[in-house]
Amino acid sequence: MAKKSKSRTIAVRLISMAMTGYYRTMIRPRVHRPLSMLKYDPVVKKKVLFLEATKGGKAK
Amino acid sequence: MPAITANVAQLPIRLRNFFARYPPQIYSSLAAPRPTPPAGQASTEQPLPSPYTPDRDAKGAQKEDRGAFSVARSMLWDSRSAPNPFLPKKIYSTGKWMGPRYGLRQQADLVKLAAKYNVEALLPPGPKSTEYKAAKLAERGLRIKGTGIGQKVKGHKWERTMEARLEDRRKAMMEMPEMIRLWKQRGHGRGWRQWPKR
Repeated sequence: MAKKSKSRTIAVRLISMAMTGYYRTMIRPRVHRPLSMLKYDPVVKKKVLFLEATKGGKAK
Repeated sequence: MPAITANVAQLPIRLRNFFARYPPQIYSSLAAPRPTPPAGQASTEQPLPSPYTPDRDAKGAQKEDRGAFSVARSMLWDSRSAPNPFLPKKIYSTGKWMGPRYGLRQQADLVKLAAKYNVEALLPPGPKSTEYKAAKLAERGLRIKGTGIGQKVKGHKWERTMEARLEDRRKAMMEMPEMIRLWKQRGHGRGWRQWPKR
């Protein structure tokens, strides 16, 4: 029986580093490096750094 | 009292009959001794323990002292020679309780009627009197949780943790420009090490 193939892309959660609990969900290729970007956080009403939340807090 | 006694004739028959049966000189709350707290126990100054303290069921929690002086309780004055018709009486020979001569409903009627004719002070002290009710309310406090002295309500979790969360946010925002500078310096995340945990 053939193994179920993994999808090429995954949905990831980018968490606001302003510690507001606000996050955005994005899709990136599985083999891509973790996402990080400056985005608007409506709670603090400012552009802040969003980092991808990884399982265990580690990334390549 | 002359101002009060002057218009006795104008009182309704029900009150006149009551006063005929229980003359105010002997029975009224004016004739009753004024309640004074016993010396050395300034309980009027201290707040009475409220039944709504959160740890009232906790081990070693202080029980309400039933023997403590209470203004309201001492208002309900009774004497052997002239038993208060508004209060129940214990018959010591049989150990049984005799109900009040006037039940609570009749008492309430009389008090309301007397208050209307401005002679409430001439009635015997009883649990329906305005004075007693005011004293009782002052002792007991509001029946709203958390309004008494030393009481607090638990509140929602978001209310309890709000201060800490706002502090976290404030600190994070203080460090944000430095963090962004580092992030830009490290190739917009290429060299980033501390990724947040999910």
